[in-house]
Amino acid sequence: MVFIYGINFQESRLVSRALTSFYGIGPNVCKNLMAKFYIHNTAKVGDLGDRQINSLAEELSTMTLENDLRRQLVDNIKRLRDMSSYRGRRHAMSLPVRGQNTRTQTMTARKLNKVERRG
Amino acid sequence: MRVTSPLLARSVWKGPHIVPLPIVRPKQGERVPPIKTQARSATILPNFVGLIFQIHNGKIYNDVRITEDMVGHKLGEFSATRKKFTYKQTKNK
Repeated sequence: MVFIYGINFQESRLVSRALTSFYGIGPNVCKNLMAKFYIHNTAKVGDLGDRQINSLAEELSTMTLENDLRRQLVDNIKRLRDMSSYRGRRHAMSLPVRGQNTRTQTMTARKLNKVERRG
Repeated sequence: MRVTSPLLARSVWKGPHIVPLPIVRPKQGERVPPIKTQARSATILPNFVGLIFQIHNGKIYNDVRITEDMVGHKLGEFSATRKKFTYKQTKNK
């Protein structure tokens, strides 16, 4: 078991899979991170040296991830809602925000757009 | 939610979209009359904060008090142009 940013990962886990399991790290950010610390694509978590893990953890602690990022997202929408701008109103009504059609197919907006947005 | 990429934003060399509006500096103890405008695309500047605007929505003028958060947005964002759908019962069929 390897401890990275508050979570224990199994040693057989791919580093890229472990990193992208955090909210706020997608394939792109993951690629940049791994390139920065000289980790190859198919490296397992167990293969990492102590130094690499420490520097990786240090880098992660400087980024806004997980709950901080979620809170930031909600705050941004709440700000729009509080000043009752068009975008804020569209979020509150769970309708598309950026001028998309609403006659059909607004599933994504209906699922996601709300003031207390999750994900 | 993606932040607008700098490539999609307005060019810097143009500066903010400034529309000449009849803004008078309020004197002490005097109330400022609301500013009636149809310029929905005018950018809200820091010196608008605290003033009341009457912004046209195509039909009527909506009263909006400008707060600090609104700086950088456009006036039109705060005056809704669409009516919410309500079902009306037909009287005679």
